[in-house]
Amino acid sequence: MNNPPGETLPGSTDIMVELIKVSKRYPPDVVALDTISLTIPRGEMLFVIGMSGAGKTTLLKLMATMEAPSNGLIEIGGEPIQDLRGAKLARLRQRIGVAYQDFKLLLNRTAAENIAISMEVSYKKPQYITKRVRTLLDQLNLADKHGMIAGELSRGEQQRVTLARAVANSPALILVDEPTGNLDAITTEWVMKLLANSHKAGATIVIATHDDSLYRDSGCRVIELHKGNLLGISGERP
Amino acid sequence: MKFWLAVLQQLGRNLRQTWPSQMMTFLTVSLSVLIFSLFSVIYINMLTVSRQIGDDLQLVVYLNDEPGPEMQEQLRNKITAFDQVESIHFVSRDEAYQRFRQQLGDSSDVLDDMPHDFLPPSIEVTPLHSLRGLSQIKLFSDYLLKLPGAEKVQYGQEWIERFHSFTQVLRLVVLLSASLLILTTIFMVSHTIRLTIMGRVDELELLKLVGATNNYIRMPFMLEGFLQGLAGSLIGLSALYALFLWISHRVTGSELLSMVHFTFFQPGIIALIILLSIILCTAGSYFSMHKYLRF
Ligand SMILES: Nc1ncnc2c1ncn2[C@@H]1O[C@H](COP(=O)(O)OP(=O)(O)O)[C@@H](O)[C@H]1O
Ligand SMILES: [Mg+2]
Repeated sequence: MNNPPGETLPGSTDIMVELIKVSKRYPPDVVALDTISLTIPRGEMLFVIGMSGAGKTTLLKLMATMEAPSNGLIEIGGEPIQDLRGAKLARLRQRIGVAYQDFKLLLNRTAAENIAISMEVSYKKPQYITKRVRTLLDQLNLADKHGMIAGELSRGEQQRVTLARAVANSPALILVDEPTGNLDAITTEWVMKLLANSHKAGATIVIATHDDSLYRDSGCRVIELHKGNLLGISGERP
Repeated sequence: MKFWLAVLQQLGRNLRQTWPSQMMTFLTVSLSVLIFSLFSVIYINMLTVSRQIGDDLQLVVYLNDEPGPEMQEQLRNKITAFDQVESIHFVSRDEAYQRFRQQLGDSSDVLDDMPHDFLPPSIEVTPLHSLRGLSQIKLFSDYLLKLPGAEKVQYGQEWIERFHSFTQVLRLVVLLSASLLILTTIFMVSHTIRLTIMGRVDELELLKLVGATNNYIRMPFMLEGFLQGLAGSLIGLSALYALFLWISHRVTGSELLSMVHFTFFQPGIIALIILLSIILCTAGSYFSMHKYLRF
């Protein structure tokens, strides 16, 4: 049930995500990403930074199979994803947890139900789901919001519920878009601790942010986007 | 197991969220089944009655003169030349008189002053069961009229013809109400499902993003259709049965209709109607989901 996250994606390769000359254009003529090549090894925690409109969200959407690239090739777990359909695509998506910038919470459901969804679709046992939801709410300091309707939560609380849903199913790849935009310093720490836990358990994590406090002392790789182009890669620090 | 648990949970949510249109669909299905099966049950009973009539059907050929034994043999050959028959019975003037007397019963003394031979002799022909069609009976009757010495042929023409055309109309009504059943059911079911889908686009969208399979998304909707088909047809048929019992009860008192034995659907037909409406409703759900899931 609680399988080690990193090991469950197909393929034996050590590369989790591979982008080869990927471009994304939105009609009529917005170039959101311009010929990006990027390799993310299994188990890495990577930060994507850049100004608003640089293309961070677009990059995550491509890796989440939510959008298709206009050009180029994307492989996840060593498998090209553009031809995936039906049950195979669904199974891949079950192994990718995404915390969307706009949350995508079901506002008429409780916080607990929102978190449970990602586990329900892969048929986890109800007892397991209940336990996991409680643990996550505890870890994000939301224990008392368990039965609250998501629409009535504050932005900061919604943001954390979104994150909890993203990590709940112990996915191999976790994509997080601006996770701390509405959070104070202490809550931000709770959030980063949760992500660090998933990372330690083997998950590959990509975080888009412009909060430099998140990555300053993390020792993780940071890549910067500017108007759809990959600027510099500040490599791992010791 | 876990799959069905999730499906049932989802189904419960659907029903809670859209119960007014669910009720509409349920009522439509019940009503369609009721209308359709009402006409079918009438049709079935008409067929039974017409079979009984067929069993009793007899053509009577009135002759102007009593045929001798040779003549009888000749007539017999001519009749069987048209088609094989169940039986041929010659009724002499005297036999006709005796029968009439018997029919009159107590008042038979009015015949005392009458000659015994005032009634015409006749041949009673009972056709084979295979000779069912009204047109064939007509042909046969025309043929019998051309027999030597035949004056008139009688078989309750008018009544049978009227009954026959009524049965034809009823068959049309059954077919029409069957099409009505199919159309309204499909329309209502897909309408309800569309409403549900429109009210929950966000959720279905999210389900796809977190990796729900099409089956996971579709199954609750199909189960919903299944239940609507099942419940709708059960209620429709029960209503019809209640109506049937009520009518049969009223009719047993009446002299005229007491000889007609009313029948309800055979169990097989009942199962077929239930199955049909389940299939219709489930297919309705499947196809309206199909349109949505295909992108
Ligand atoms: N669905 C869309 N249709 C058209 N343009 C879009 C769409 N999504 C994003 N863009 C444009 O693509 C560019 C990159 O956007 P985005 O990836 O959201 O940047 P970031 O997340 O770094 O702020 C922006 O110019 C934005 O306006
Ligand atoms: Mg963004």
